[in-house]
Amino acid sequence: MGVTCVSQMPVAEGKSVQQTVEILTRKLELLGAEKQGTFCVDCETYHTAASTMGNQGQAGKLMYVMHNSEYPLSCFALFENGPCLIADANFDVLMVKLKGFFQNAKANKIESRGTRYQYCDFLVKVGTVTMGPSARGISVEVEYCPCVVANDCWNLLMEFMQSFMGNHTPGIPSMFSNKHDSIYSPGDTMAQYMELFNKIRKQQQVPVAGIR
Amino acid sequence: MEAPPVTMMPVTGGTINMMEYLLQGSVLDQSLESLLHRLRGLCDNMEPETFLDHEMVFLLKGQQASPFVLRARCSMDKTGTPWHLRYLGQPEMGDKNRHALVRNCVDIATSENLTDFLMEMGFRMDHEFVAKGHVFRKGIMKIVVYKIFRILVPGNTDSIEPLSLSYLVELSVVAPAGQDVVSDDMRNFAEQLKPLVHLEKIDPKRLM
Repeated sequence: MGVTCVSQMPVAEGKSVQQTVEILTRKLELLGAEKQGTFCVDCETYHTAASTMGNQGQAGKLMYVMHNSEYPLSCFALFENGPCLIADANFDVLMVKLKGFFQNAKANKIESRGTRYQYCDFLVKVGTVTMGPSARGISVEVEYCPCVVANDCWNLLMEFMQSFMGNHTPGIPSMFSNKHDSIYSPGDTMAQYMELFNKIRKQQQVPVAGIR
Repeated sequence: MEAPPVTMMPVTGGTINMMEYLLQGSVLDQSLESLLHRLRGLCDNMEPETFLDHEMVFLLKGQQASPFVLRARCSMDKTGTPWHLRYLGQPEMGDKNRHALVRNCVDIATSENLTDFLMEMGFRMDHEFVAKGHVFRKGIMKIVVYKIFRILVPGNTDSIEPLSLSYLVELSVVAPAGQDVVSDDMRNFAEQLKPLVHLEKIDPKRLM
């Protein structure tokens, strides 16, 4: 996977989540981007059950199990500021077996769904982030496919994002500075989504009706 | 012939529970070559395949009586292969006539940071060993003949010593639940290996 930047697009003043997504996708189509199907990134939260905490002598940890439609056979499991495990789809079956030790906080399940656009060497995914029935925000994922070293193409990515995100172009993701010259991997994208989802969960509910 | 009903176990999360059917036996070192010779004849024609694996067994202790066991295995001689995480359930105590040991199994391929991740989840390593041997296939049956080595210095796979003067022989099949005909096929194959090795259903609890 090429270097990817995942960020949040704030909802436009006076508009709904769906309307803002439409404005963004219209800008992309005017630029010449081609629609190429849909995408979905979801995230489930597990916390260590009370029964295991006593022996650990530490606060319960949160583990996130994520899926990305771009990698349909894989499952990503991460701890905040911790390692990210990339496993195959059977990892979900294992989490069912572990339900005595890790409880699934079903109400915390969050996902981003939307359209995939290709523009030359860029892949852009604009998604509506939903938690349950309500739309909570907008995620924008931009990938520059040919490059796998984060710091080598940040300027190019930023310039491209400015062409359709304008002032809402994000700054350099904090994880890029940790990468130095190491190869970018899908786990890094999932870590960015995890940060984004956590930020959105903490934000107040967007005061508009849920999308259909 | 109609296929038997695929599930007799509950289907959870949209996936079907897979079961491992297992028969085990052992041969002394001096009998290894004759066993390998017979296996080469009986099994599917393929390049002789050897393996050198490092397996670590992790436990997660909770308030339940028995800890949760996970096995993490990586290849020491083949680079670039994923790590293999395996969960094995308790053997099914059912049909005494069933010829093989049957237990639920979940196999997961993972990235290389598996041990760090398991520690983060709260697992602790209980023991580790090195397995070196040969693997054969016959249809869906897998036959493994290997020697277990004790690791003298934890984490250092260079200094190892054999645990015994014999090789462990395992005949296994991973199939969806309810396919009991599998254990009949396994028993028939095991017959062909006698008297070089006697493969039987060994209940791990009886050894403890």
